[in-house]
Amino acid sequence: MNTRKSSNQITLGLGAVLALVGLILTFVNQMNWFWFMAGAWLGLLVWQPTHWVLVSYSIISVYPVLRVISISLRPTANLLSRSLAIIPPNATFESYVVLFLEEEFLLWIWNSFSITMVVASVGVIVASTGAYAFSRWRFPGRRPALIFLLTTQMIPAGMLIIPIFVIVAQLQLTNNIIGLMLAYIATAIPFSIWILKGYYDTIPPDLEEAAMVDGCNRLESFWRIILPLSTPALSIVFLFNFLGSWSEFIVAKVILQANSTQTWPLGFNEMIGTFSTDWGKYAAGSVIVTIPVLLLFLWQSRYLISGLTLGSVKG
Amino acid sequence: MEFSGLDLNTVIQTLTKILPILVGVLVGSLALQFVLYQFLHKVVKTKHALPYTLLAPAAIAIVAFLLYPLGYNTLLAFSELKRSTFPCYSPVAIGECELTHLYGLDYGFANFRDVFFRVRDGEILGWGRLLRTADSTFPVLLQRTALWTGLNVIFHFTIGLGLALLMNQKIRFKGIYRSLIVLPWAIPSVITALTWKQEFHAQYGFVNVMISSFGGQPISWLDDPVLAFVAVVFVNVWLGVPFYMVMLLGGLQSIPADFYEAAHIDGANARQSFWTITLPMLRPIIIPAVTLDVIWTFNKLDIIFIISGGGPQEKTNILVSALFNAAFGPAATQQLGFAAAFSIVIFFILFIFAVIWITSSGGLKEIYDR
Repeated sequence: MNTRKSSNQITLGLGAVLALVGLILTFVNQMNWFWFMAGAWLGLLVWQPTHWVLVSYSIISVYPVLRVISISLRPTANLLSRSLAIIPPNATFESYVVLFLEEEFLLWIWNSFSITMVVASVGVIVASTGAYAFSRWRFPGRRPALIFLLTTQMIPAGMLIIPIFVIVAQLQLTNNIIGLMLAYIATAIPFSIWILKGYYDTIPPDLEEAAMVDGCNRLESFWRIILPLSTPALSIVFLFNFLGSWSEFIVAKVILQANSTQTWPLGFNEMIGTFSTDWGKYAAGSVIVTIPVLLLFLWQSRYLISGLTLGSVKG
Repeated sequence: MEFSGLDLNTVIQTLTKILPILVGVLVGSLALQFVLYQFLHKVVKTKHALPYTLLAPAAIAIVAFLLYPLGYNTLLAFSELKRSTFPCYSPVAIGECELTHLYGLDYGFANFRDVFFRVRDGEILGWGRLLRTADSTFPVLLQRTALWTGLNVIFHFTIGLGLALLMNQKIRFKGIYRSLIVLPWAIPSVITALTWKQEFHAQYGFVNVMISSFGGQPISWLDDPVLAFVAVVFVNVWLGVPFYMVMLLGGLQSIPADFYEAAHIDGANARQSFWTITLPMLRPIIIPAVTLDVIWTFNKLDIIFIISGGGPQEKTNILVSALFNAAFGPAATQQLGFAAAFSIVIFFILFIFAVIWITSSGGLKEIYDR
């Protein structure tokens, strides 16, 4: 016990020395804080290797987010700076203003949002009763149907995009957000049923039986007991479908080709195409698009993770 | 009044499109269920009337939006559909059409043959070109897909497991680390891909700024086939680690501590208890997670498409991105009939692999066995 304690003190001392060296180098190199951070980082490695690994990985995880925020705050004059500072010198919200004025940003968001809401709602409505049937009854055809739902996960995107592209063109729904909705609903439903079935399976059937003893019929007990109990799962499914079609790019690129109907992933890709001029606008847009999703995700993350585990894994 | 491309008129127009759909789906599926239940219960008199009724809306949606396109795709594989013959296949025939028949076994045979072989005058010249460069042949793409899937799954699993093991200890700031590490999951993947693409930019990207600040030569990542492949694998690994971390951490927390204590009393060291307790206990989580990951990675198209576009010289294409480029790529002639045949081949490769893997590992058994 004693040796562990003393070795801990030694590593703490070493780590502190490394951080201090970094601080001195910072002063020597005209207050370049890079040196202090490097020193502190090495110090942490010596003192607490576990935390060092986790901190390093967290930095890698978060880095692109910070980077995008930083670029969005840059003044146009030095957009292409090679600086790695998080808050750039002379930070402004110029890019945000320019984004709204020069691009059809609100239109993109509106298109994406309306598509996403329809897909997510239809997915939940249709899957909620279907999954209940899979969970509670053993009917002929149940097993093949479940295996089929599993198989749909293996369909390469191209296998659906090609026929949908042709069908949509034949129905003259190209450049129409309805065409895109049809394509998204196709992929949303199997996954929704999957997750909801997993959740219903964890609700004991005794609950409905008790309700039926009290005079409910099967559907009433589903409506009054199972659905309210499944609110977390229903919201997860809604959220998954939402996230899935909110940022979908490939199908949208094929079906929407006109400028008048674009979703934000398409608009962003175009801004990136003209790299040097629109970097700031792109970054500002990314921040605006990501923050609501991120908040939703962090707020729901406990449900989200348990929902995914239940749906796909738990035996 | 228009602002940023959006005006009141557009909003109203979209709403008049959307609201009928939503109301229609809700009312329509209720009405359909009512009628169907009456029919099944009173006319057919099956005892499974209720589950079939509950399934009906989902079944209809799946048939209409999934099975019908898949069937149509199979039909297209037996067609000569490309940009020049597109008018022939539209319901309202526009202009001249030089095809004698629209669908046929001869087209289908040619399409499937072209996926594998390059044939002239009935003689096989070699592997078929799936894209423009001579190197984009089926075995090359299959190999690269295997490498892509293998590398991604191995890194996802080892990094995810490593992080989960570290997080499973009693350490401080666990919640903070968890939120930060899960973050890549929450960011829309288009933004991830576009942002990382810039980070690999020759002059301004983070990677090269770091290299040149230590006095090295900047590397133009996306101009070199191998480095571009490294870049796309890196981004996809980064994207996939949170999934494993969360799943495996959940699994680790469900292993009772008594097991480790018992092993400790019996003289097992940390490594032995990892191999004999941790890994076997995690098996029910690892196998479905790896199965799903293999399927997802094999079919993962957007990262490669956005970051490298399959280039340079079509050398970072995997099967699915080659398929997409053959059908809709920048210089493609939209050979949709051929691409449809190609997509069926890809599906069966994955399907056969998955069937072998699932039956041999018993992987997803518990999902449909209940």
